[in-house]
Amino acid sequence: MKAIVIGAGLGGLLSAARLSKKGYDVEVFERLPITGGRFTNLEYEGFQLSSGAFHMLPHGPGGPLARLLKEVGADVKIIRSEKTTIRIPLKKGNADYRQGFRDIPFNEFQKPLSHKDRLKSAYLVVSTRKDPPKGSSLQEWIRSQVKDEWLVKLADSFCGWSLSMRSDEVSVEEVFEVIENLYLFGGPGVPMGGCKGITDALEKVITSNGGIIRTKSEVSKILVENGKAAGVVVDGTEYKADFVISNIGHASTAGLCSEVLSEEIHEEYLRTLKTLQPSAGIKICLSAEEPLVGHSGVLLTPYTRRVNGINEVTQVDPSLAPPGKHLTMSHQHVAPENIGKLEEEIEMGLQDLKEIFPGKKYEVLLIQSYHDSWPVNRASSGTDPGNETPIPALYVVGDGAKGEGGIEVEGIALGVARTMEKIPG
Amino acid sequence: MKINDNCVGCGQCTSFCRQGAIVVRGKARITDACVECGICAPYCPVKAIEVPV
Repeated sequence: MKAIVIGAGLGGLLSAARLSKKGYDVEVFERLPITGGRFTNLEYEGFQLSSGAFHMLPHGPGGPLARLLKEVGADVKIIRSEKTTIRIPLKKGNADYRQGFRDIPFNEFQKPLSHKDRLKSAYLVVSTRKDPPKGSSLQEWIRSQVKDEWLVKLADSFCGWSLSMRSDEVSVEEVFEVIENLYLFGGPGVPMGGCKGITDALEKVITSNGGIIRTKSEVSKILVENGKAAGVVVDGTEYKADFVISNIGHASTAGLCSEVLSEEIHEEYLRTLKTLQPSAGIKICLSAEEPLVGHSGVLLTPYTRRVNGINEVTQVDPSLAPPGKHLTMSHQHVAPENIGKLEEEIEMGLQDLKEIFPGKKYEVLLIQSYHDSWPVNRASSGTDPGNETPIPALYVVGDGAKGEGGIEVEGIALGVARTMEKIPG
Repeated sequence: MKINDNCVGCGQCTSFCRQGAIVVRGKARITDACVECGICAPYCPVKAIEVPV
């Protein structure tokens, strides 16, 4: 059986590795000269920056991505982060960090609440696990339970960091799936070598099993024969396959077989594609001689204008920066209405960093923004339309087809695993 | 070299530019240091870099 994969991003490489390991004939077509998509390293001034992801797996060595990597035999070392901390103002009631701050561990998030609200939230932590809330946004749900804006701020910071969404944009169902996964798989971890440590290992699996990866090869059309996906066209040449896996999102995939999909019977699918909203974000990469975060996990920053959280991956893998330097990266969610004002959003992020790290010496290496056709996630978490398409033997994987409750790359791994169950043979 | 409206500001081009001629802040901007070598263009994931013919 022959499989063709469109796009050598994480979803495409995971699929290709898994299929080649199972004995399929695999050929991957990548438009760019490099593989990895938004999950690889970019070398810049001696630092290993990233093309997208934060050199971090949301569920570390115990998560769905780590599990899939192990299953395909990819040789990657993932180190669990020691902790996640939350930076809060010294005095409750302060709106920002300018009058001083302290850091509390993530699992003590109830600390800033009143005694009564602490009891209520302790009860909710237990009761919602048995009976997760439904039918509203996360923010609406929090406000209906505890009257303390601290929890909304924390939720915005957590959702901003992990999903690049605000708590009023994400459904409470999706967040509780995420929380359940945190119980099951644990918190984040850093792959040695960064994102590229993982994509390199996957490519090794693919090529050692006889698979082929072609870069600078743009697919211009998906071939459909007898109503079924039958291959692709690249540079005018037809490549036949028993099935096709696309890692470029549902909308672009549909664009490659638009002639077949324009029929009335696919109207509902095409309508769903139009409602998909990619998530947007800004990453600010900092270089510092002294550590800024000081641990290998995430520092959540709920009391800022924009920055949601920060990590410092050189705490785990110093080779991601030149000797004696740290690589520290902040993430901030960008609301859809602010995509047109990115410079202002960036300015607020830079101002935030000054207040988060007062008196610290650092240099801004690169500011990277992601939206629309090169977004944080092609489908905002909780809106992914699944891995199947109306065309048999054509599947979609990647950040436009994540599994439920799967944060970023964990969602990609869940989506790939689910797709593999549907594949014949 | 011209940057078109497709640019999202991901900075991928900057890391491949050998002249340090691309500044990114919400969008890429080509500076005077550009020698029009065109190396950056194929690395752009959104086809935002137009190389003069």
